[in-house]
Amino acid sequence: MIGAQTWAIVWAQSRSTRNRFFRVNRAGAAFTTLLGAIWYGAFCYLAVIVAFLLSEPNELESMRRVMPAGLLVCFLYWQLIPVLTASMGSSLDIRKLMVYPIPRRDLFGLEVLLRTSTSIEMLVLLTGAAVGLLLNPKVSVWYPLALLPFVVVNLLISAGVRDLLVRLLARKRVREVVVFVLVLAAALPQALLLSGSRARLRHLFAGAPLPFWPWTATSRLALGEFSWLSIAVLLAWVAAAYAFGRWQFERGLNFDLSEATARNAATARAASRMEWWYSLPNLFLRDPLAALVEKELRFLARTPRFRLVFMMGFSFGLLIWLPMAFGPNAARHSLFADNYLTLVSVYALLMLSDVLFWNCFGFDRGAIQMYFLAPVKMSTVITGKNLVAVYFVVLDVTTVALVCALLRLPLSGLQILEAFCVTCVVTLFILSIGNLSSFYNPRPVDPGKSFRTGASARTQAMMTLAFPVALLPVGLAYLARYAFDSEAAFFGALGAGALLGAIVYAHSRGSGLRAAEQRKDVIIAALSRGEGPIES
Amino acid sequence: MSAAISVRHLRKMYGAKAAVDGLDLEVPHGCFFGFLGPNGAGKTTTIRMLMGLAPPTSGSIELLDLAMPEHAQEVKGKIGLVPDESLLFDHLTGPEFTEFVGRIYGLERNVARERSRELLELFELDSEPRKLIGEYSKGMRKRVAMAAALIHRPELFLLDEPFEGVDAVGARLMKEILLDQVRHGATVFLTSHVLEVVERLCDRVAIIQQGRLVLSGTMAELRSGSETLEDIFVRVVGAERPAETLDWL
Repeated sequence: MIGAQTWAIVWAQSRSTRNRFFRVNRAGAAFTTLLGAIWYGAFCYLAVIVAFLLSEPNELESMRRVMPAGLLVCFLYWQLIPVLTASMGSSLDIRKLMVYPIPRRDLFGLEVLLRTSTSIEMLVLLTGAAVGLLLNPKVSVWYPLALLPFVVVNLLISAGVRDLLVRLLARKRVREVVVFVLVLAAALPQALLLSGSRARLRHLFAGAPLPFWPWTATSRLALGEFSWLSIAVLLAWVAAAYAFGRWQFERGLNFDLSEATARNAATARAASRMEWWYSLPNLFLRDPLAALVEKELRFLARTPRFRLVFMMGFSFGLLIWLPMAFGPNAARHSLFADNYLTLVSVYALLMLSDVLFWNCFGFDRGAIQMYFLAPVKMSTVITGKNLVAVYFVVLDVTTVALVCALLRLPLSGLQILEAFCVTCVVTLFILSIGNLSSFYNPRPVDPGKSFRTGASARTQAMMTLAFPVALLPVGLAYLARYAFDSEAAFFGALGAGALLGAIVYAHSRGSGLRAAEQRKDVIIAALSRGEGPIES
Repeated sequence: MSAAISVRHLRKMYGAKAAVDGLDLEVPHGCFFGFLGPNGAGKTTTIRMLMGLAPPTSGSIELLDLAMPEHAQEVKGKIGLVPDESLLFDHLTGPEFTEFVGRIYGLERNVARERSRELLELFELDSEPRKLIGEYSKGMRKRVAMAAALIHRPELFLLDEPFEGVDAVGARLMKEILLDQVRHGATVFLTSHVLEVVERLCDRVAIIQQGRLVLSGTMAELRSGSETLEDIFVRVVGAERPAETLDWL
């Protein structure tokens, strides 16, 4: 039974969401709804296909072979995608709710239900599967119920993983190790597939699926193959997932973020070693710009979310594309191999855009008031932020290039030059859009949290529009290379793109600064606001 | 007389630094208790541990004769909090927030709504019922937090800087309500930097510095001489040195 307090939390959150919705830009909300409809519409379409396939009595045999693998993909999507996108969906704001007399089991129940926010796509597909099975005359109406424990197992594991990661990523140094392990784990299947282990992997999956996995047991039961073993396996998985989820949740409740992030002597020493790097801008710039750039460097370098995204930018991209470009099965001059560095650099740029461009005052929620009060022009502030953004992008691309050199990958000087030029042109356009969105769509971001709860709908909508626009001039440059088969044409078109980017940048910067002046109070209010009982 | 708050050898470490270092504290039932200390002395950490927001590194806490965290559920139901401002829900209106808190403390929805309406009227927050807490001024945020703390008639109040940013009229109202609660048997534990307010309201005071208790007693005991609470505070925390002047200032 759901407790009265749980209902109170749900009620407060619904009010919170409603209040927020009525204060946002209607056009933006409508556009976001449209994008959501397209995205989830696509999954609904897939769900209909799944339902159609599973409703066919003649397809049952082939489904017995395919369904365990399908459910395994579903499981992996559910558990891995939130981690890889560093976006863990909605969750209870435990810090705010801890002070009230709410039973822990109720909080846990709510938290588990909130895990659905990262897996709506999979729930849509599983609903399609359930409907298909219900329509199948060869399957009894009770068998599709086997999909329910599978959903519960996923929700519970997802809740446990989230709590575990939140705690691990809050600790300095442990965080960096965890990110590398995650990146390696994520890249492993692809690396195995593309590095000559394909035959061994095929052999591994050739036989009948092992009956002890939840996807196998679920598949067998759902398709009408009753066995006590499958039921026992599913129940055991539910019990194990509950134990894991509850254990991690309890540990999360007793977790003290301030304690975990407390500075100790070692970190103080490391900080002092970084001093020269922080003060580097003073060699080239004059105050107040130098002071602003130095402050940004210090601030971002200490921000867990930025550090996570920065690291993922070069490490994850590098590993994901590497086997495709240079694996034993890759062609010597494939599209991936020829443009490897550029692809990884643009990927790193897109990862960084969330923290450096779209919402450049998000981490800085307290400082925005000072920027408006201090005798420093907002144009200087935005110049400082843009310079730091470009600096980190160049640093990320340089890191990628150095790693490539260390790995002795076949990269020429021209390819390195191309990667830098392409990234710089894309950066110009992203900066232009970011300067506008930072003033028109500011939102507070907790710099202490490594994983975001989910980008606001308006931001997602804006990003979906912005990336293709920012990549268009570069795309045209590649088109010129293809059409004229000439490097000169490529770099000429890229130069024209850069010129256009500079004009757009200058224009958008001016427009953004005018918006900053006119929307001062709205920006300060938007950046000072917190959340409801659920962080979403 | 049993203690409403009993703290034994309480310790909280942040890395190598002890924010609270072996604190012993007794707050009797029905007492108006002032918890003072300079910035960074460990007041907020102590109150966070009492509220259950931060687990102590070692030591024990008993609130209303019940051990924490073993009886946390029961104890929390009897406590009224005016916490750090960041614990408010910015996207709720004042009436929505107080009603929510009432329901969380187990009140029927209609009772919570009615009490919420009355409390907001009392704290003069009823004129703009659709205004979000995120749009409130600092003083209004403290007043709505105080209204929410009262909604379930708690036995113990834990108040972190409750008068900060509140205007004179609002502060007087809050003081009168708190004094009235103490007269009816409730216990108030408050931290404040406004020593005049503490001197006027509290019957017991404790001062901590660098996580350790440096002074504790009744107001009558402390003011035995001609010293004001401010004099005592400055003397105890060792800040008596004359203000140094800077050449350029």
